[in-house]
Amino acid sequence: MLMRFAGSLSVTIALLLGLLISTGALIISATSSYHLPGNRQGYRPEQPIAYSHRLHAGELGIACLYCHSGAEKSRHAEIPAAATCMNCHGFVKSSLGALRAEEAKAGKEKRKVVPPQSEELSKLYAYLGLDANGKPDPKGTLKPIPWVKIHRLPDYVYFDHRAHLAVGVACQKCHGPIESMERVQQFSDLSMGWCVNCHRLANLSGINGLKVNASTDCVTCHY
Amino acid sequence: MAGEPKDLIWKNREHLILGDEVSTSQDSSAAGSSSSSASASAKRPEEHPAGFDRRGFLKASGFTLFLSALTGCEKWGKEVSLGMVNPSKGVIPGRAQTYASVCGGCSAACGVLIKSRDGRPIKLEGNPLHPLSRGGLCAVGQASILGLYDSRRTKLKPMIAGKASTWEALDEQLRQQLDKVRLSGGSVRFLTGSITSPTTRNLIQDFLKSFPDGKHVVYDALSSSAILDAHQRTHGQRVLPRYRLDQADLIVSFDADFLGTWISPVEYTAAYQTHRAPTQKDPRMSHHVHFESRLSITGSKADERVVVTPEELKAQIAGLAVQIAKLAGVNIPMKAPVQAADTSELAQGLWKARGKSLVLSGCQDTQVQVLVNFINHTLENYGKTLDLAQSSSQRQGNDAQLQELLKEINSGKVSALFVAGVDPLYELPLAKDFSKSIGTVVRFAERMDASAALASSEGGFFCPVSNEMESWSDSEPVNGVVCVNQPTLRALGDTRPLSVTLSNLMGSPNSDYQVVRAYWEKNVFSRKKDGPAGSFQAFWDKAVHDGCVEVEATPGDLKPFNMGALQDAPALTAASGMTLVLYPKVGLLDGRHAYNPWLQELPDPISKLTWDNYACLSPAKAKAMGVADGDVIGVGLPGKTELKLPAFIQPGQHDDIVAVALGYGSEASKRFDQIGPQWLEKRPTLGANGLVGAHAAGLLDLSGPTIRYEQNGVTLKVTGTRHPLATSQLYSYITVPDHLALPGLKRREAVLETTLAEWASKKDDKHAGHGHGREHDNGMWPDDHHTQQGKRWGMLIDLNKCTGCSACVIACQAENNIPVVGKDEVRRGRDMHWMRIDRYYAEREEKGKGKGQGQQGGSVDVAFQPMLCHHCDNAPCETVCPVLATAHSSEGLNEQIYNRCVGTRYCANNCPYKVRRFNWFKYRHDDETQNLALNPDVTVRSRGVMEKCSFCVQRIQEAKIEAKRIGTPLADGDIQPACQQSCPAQAIVFGDANDPGSQISTLRKDSRHYHVLEELNIRPSVGYMRLVRGHGHPGAGTDKGSNHG
Repeated sequence: MLMRFAGSLSVTIALLLGLLISTGALIISATSSYHLPGNRQGYRPEQPIAYSHRLHAGELGIACLYCHSGAEKSRHAEIPAAATCMNCHGFVKSSLGALRAEEAKAGKEKRKVVPPQSEELSKLYAYLGLDANGKPDPKGTLKPIPWVKIHRLPDYVYFDHRAHLAVGVACQKCHGPIESMERVQQFSDLSMGWCVNCHRLANLSGINGLKVNASTDCVTCHY
Repeated sequence: MAGEPKDLIWKNREHLILGDEVSTSQDSSAAGSSSSSASASAKRPEEHPAGFDRRGFLKASGFTLFLSALTGCEKWGKEVSLGMVNPSKGVIPGRAQTYASVCGGCSAACGVLIKSRDGRPIKLEGNPLHPLSRGGLCAVGQASILGLYDSRRTKLKPMIAGKASTWEALDEQLRQQLDKVRLSGGSVRFLTGSITSPTTRNLIQDFLKSFPDGKHVVYDALSSSAILDAHQRTHGQRVLPRYRLDQADLIVSFDADFLGTWISPVEYTAAYQTHRAPTQKDPRMSHHVHFESRLSITGSKADERVVVTPEELKAQIAGLAVQIAKLAGVNIPMKAPVQAADTSELAQGLWKARGKSLVLSGCQDTQVQVLVNFINHTLENYGKTLDLAQSSSQRQGNDAQLQELLKEINSGKVSALFVAGVDPLYELPLAKDFSKSIGTVVRFAERMDASAALASSEGGFFCPVSNEMESWSDSEPVNGVVCVNQPTLRALGDTRPLSVTLSNLMGSPNSDYQVVRAYWEKNVFSRKKDGPAGSFQAFWDKAVHDGCVEVEATPGDLKPFNMGALQDAPALTAASGMTLVLYPKVGLLDGRHAYNPWLQELPDPISKLTWDNYACLSPAKAKAMGVADGDVIGVGLPGKTELKLPAFIQPGQHDDIVAVALGYGSEASKRFDQIGPQWLEKRPTLGANGLVGAHAAGLLDLSGPTIRYEQNGVTLKVTGTRHPLATSQLYSYITVPDHLALPGLKRREAVLETTLAEWASKKDDKHAGHGHGREHDNGMWPDDHHTQQGKRWGMLIDLNKCTGCSACVIACQAENNIPVVGKDEVRRGRDMHWMRIDRYYAEREEKGKGKGQGQQGGSVDVAFQPMLCHHCDNAPCETVCPVLATAHSSEGLNEQIYNRCVGTRYCANNCPYKVRRFNWFKYRHDDETQNLALNPDVTVRSRGVMEKCSFCVQRIQEAKIEAKRIGTPLADGDIQPACQQSCPAQAIVFGDANDPGSQISTLRKDSRHYHVLEELNIRPSVGYMRLVRGHGHPGAGTDKGSNHG
């Protein structure tokens, strides 16, 4: 009798404990994010180099396709090769503001201008095997920049940038006001419902006044 | 189908062997004993797996549930995207580049296009610009991508005396060794297989010139030495003609399996099919007569097939030669021997088709080949169907030189032996220690194999050779067609091309690129067709881009036909008892690809067996011996170790023949120890010997002047043990015997066929354009369910062109990331091939004789039918899916959406074609490096998900989007699924059925077109073109048994 009681007691305790843990887990997951599993809308990770899209795409007005040239030609928009940065940063080694300030300071102190070193650019040079000033460094080695991936689709989804650019979908339609983002974040939720809604709307009202055929077949994206 | 269906009924093998007594469905767990009925398998309890009872199941499932609860939560972690540092020229991430090159799968040297993504090759395709292979690529070529990503290959290091070393040390030590040899005046022998690369051949010659006695010895494990020797006697030059099957109206083949494994099957298939697809406008077809002892795929495609023993085959050729000589009024010093079958009509037919006929033989008796040459010469075929000016270098093996070399080695004459490519210790019946007396042995090979043992002792050097996709080379398969073999990635391991090692040893270090380019500049450029105009650079660039270039053939030294060669009549001995026939299988060939899991799991086109070789016996012989499929028998020859093999009953084979495949029992197959899912009831893929299959090359006959593949006087012993076989066809089939069939139930024919005479005279119009017609048209789908506008993808397969070669099966496997499951899973019917080739037998009654009482082996007709998802408009699978994981696209595709699938398998149950495959496990490559060959455009499916042919939708999408980007509409033929691209016979057509001008729309109007199971009103998108048999062709041949007209 005692044994049986002890047995049922332990079962009850185990059940209660299990309930407690699962409720706790639910509460934690519910409070930390309201998103469905896998949805990372708003994801804004720190990048190895604090590259500013606001500065380059917004203020300086560099076209998106200058760096992401694959978007026109390929499934992937392409993470630009580090060498692409050197098209400008072979010459531009600090911001204009910092250079002006240094010039003013040097003028005041009556000394030669020492071009200021950008900390972020030094990181870039290191990946390219250059020294902190962007000069060839015999000890340097080439390393790809480990950019943190923001827009991630599941493995069973095959999105193609080409098809969207060919009919004139603006980058901002999916990526948001990227030209005003200091650090890029995921703008859309990238869910299937969001994709399909846009495809349906495009079929109804066209894109930029042009009729399009945005397929909603499963195999448009899943194969 | 001509006439009433009951005249000719397509049967599975069981019906053919056992008659209609087979009626029970087979338990799939005992699928290994594929021929035994349920009662037979009950007698063999050892084939039932150890029981997994209900309690055990509940325990295991409870435990699994607990584990999954623990591990079910997953977080999406931080992921890094690595861009390039410096952009590679022309490489766009996500886009594929193709590079023209040469296939290294065998010595046929077909042209390939290597598809490369982000700098790594992922798929090989046929090069349509190649004049021989014409865009086709066989199963071996398709599978060779796995050879590139073989971790056992890439981990190899150069070795000195069996110890890992460096290239510098190896070069240094080897040079010192060779200097000693040079000073002592010792003999140097360079043993290779047929090398089609003129640069490499030239380099070896140059290298050997630096020794006082250097000789290049060539042999082929699948030898055609007799043909070359015969041409030496009749034409004064040791050449192999280029066989022009596209120029021949009448092809007579004496055991030359030219569509399967003989010399250059892709080239021959591509040429053969040009005359094998009659149209209504031009209802003509070449006629093909085939003599053989076992059933090959070439024999299955023949219009007339005569089953004779290898000895009888020689008599047939001799008899034919005498008859042709008589017709031509030429005297030959020979009497007509007694023949097994009457060839007088055939001789008449050949005589009528002079200059448009071709006689081929795979016989390894030189004197018999002399007679074949005589026949072709008398029929004026040289220069028309046999090209000696554009002679072939696809087989150069000289068995006499090989014999001489073996003698030299045994007498201790050879001081240094180089062995490149070929694996003599595996491919030939040689003793393991035959090289004891050689001072220096240098072994060049891609992977460790039996012959690596030669170089493992003192004075041995092992040089790991780069894969053909890692090095520059060239190839001249036939005189005047030169091809460039270009690399597509840097060597993955510490390997080096042969040319680099040789040029280092010669003291002029050169890269493989420099060696090839220099040779071309000096020797190939001058042979340019349009004269010396233009720069070499332009010539070279075009050759590299196209993959091949046609140049002037180098002149030969041919003499007029020498009738004196006929003086020695072939020795015709009457055979008694059983004859052993050793044959290569499509896929494994001589065993050089035994490491390749795709080829090991590729079902043999005829036997449909995977992961084994076996002793094929005719049904009558098996009955007489009392053996069933899988009963192990001992195959013995005097003086040789007995070979233990499972028996397999093979219809269409001569009763006095036992046929065994070469290429098995290789050390390379040890690696498959852990292949397939590891689970409780797993049974091993490897046999009792720890290898896949048994090593049959030990039974080859090296005693004569040529390597012989047939030997009389073989003894067969029943051992009483069993070895289960794994078949990919006929597991758990259900057949309703006639007396139990519901009234009015009709037998459904998957394969429809007719004869050429019938079809040409349009007597059988009742079937025109249809199979059996729809039984009812009151479907549950609304009429507008079918796509009327826009694209509507469809496929059409010409059964007359299809040879069953299985190139499509491996092409599909490579393109769609299809896993290998291992022998045990195949036995359970869980093979994953999306494209399978069904093989059907039909027994044809001969005139005046009862069933099976005709000629030896019976008159067995064979049909091959590639079977894949039919993308039905009214797809039965779609209606039963509870989660809409399989749905219909607006372009007529039956979509399978993996992420939606919950694995109920209702769809597979409801599929009338049985083409859906279920992932019972998470199947992985057993070698992780081979994951690099995965196609990034196709999802790797997970456990619990259904999959099937998608019509290569990734290619459709790519082509559509690219067309959208460029702004041009898709043209017919822009989209080629992997199977169509690879098909050497061009039997597969894919396109938009809504486009009236497309090839598929045109062909669908042909009266040969039909749908399989059309009566079910499921409206499949895949159609077939009926088989047309050339029985009783007016041009030639005997009119044997076409009583079903």
